[in-house]
Amino acid sequence: MTQSNQTLETTAIEPENNADDSPSATNDRNSMEEYYQLIETLLITTFAVTAIIVVCVWIFYSLNTALNYLLGSCVGVVYLRMLGKDVERLGKSSNGLGSRRFALFAALIIVASQWQQLHIVPVFLGFLTYKVAIIAYTLQTSAMPAKK
Amino acid sequence: MDTIVASASVIAAALAVGLAAIGPGIGQGNASGQAVAGIARQPEAEGKIRGTLLLTLAFMESLTIYGLVISLVLLFANPFS
Repeated sequence: MTQSNQTLETTAIEPENNADDSPSATNDRNSMEEYYQLIETLLITTFAVTAIIVVCVWIFYSLNTALNYLLGSCVGVVYLRMLGKDVERLGKSSNGLGSRRFALFAALIIVASQWQQLHIVPVFLGFLTYKVAIIAYTLQTSAMPAKK
Repeated sequence: MDTIVASASVIAAALAVGLAAIGPGIGQGNASGQAVAGIARQPEAEGKIRGTLLLTLAFMESLTIYGLVISLVLLFANPFS
């Protein structure tokens, strides 16, 4: 009788001990997967918007302007990825939000202003393409909050 | 380039990036601090908090970027030279 009680106790306690570790760890992993999915969605949306705008600019303006826009958009994607990595590291390491992203952007604008083949306006507008993706995502989640 | 125009451009560039960095700097510090405090309180909501922080920081940093663009254009592609 006592032996059966002991086995009952151990079987009752064991899942509780596991429950301390596994569900919270699983929740954390699921929670961070949501974040990674957000970054992936933003990057994919940025690429899609870039492709559409580059084709339109190529048709209505010129190939040179379209390539300028593409260059700015690629740097914008790298910038967004660096921002995502910095936000992911925030609170886990002693480093705060870095300023390397601004150096990347400043280098882009300096190259665009010094190199005769590049123009500042299309490069800058291309860089801002990631904001279109962010605004679209924000509008989508605010219009359809139940979907998320 | 005229000396007065050059010196005014340099001062304007410094003011543009300096003033444009004040507000977003304070806002980013506040947002990041509150987000880290929220993650410490609710670790299960870490992904949502970090996602919201990412969107917020992207919006706030663009304000600094506008000032940076103005200052870089004034320094490297000055329209008044």
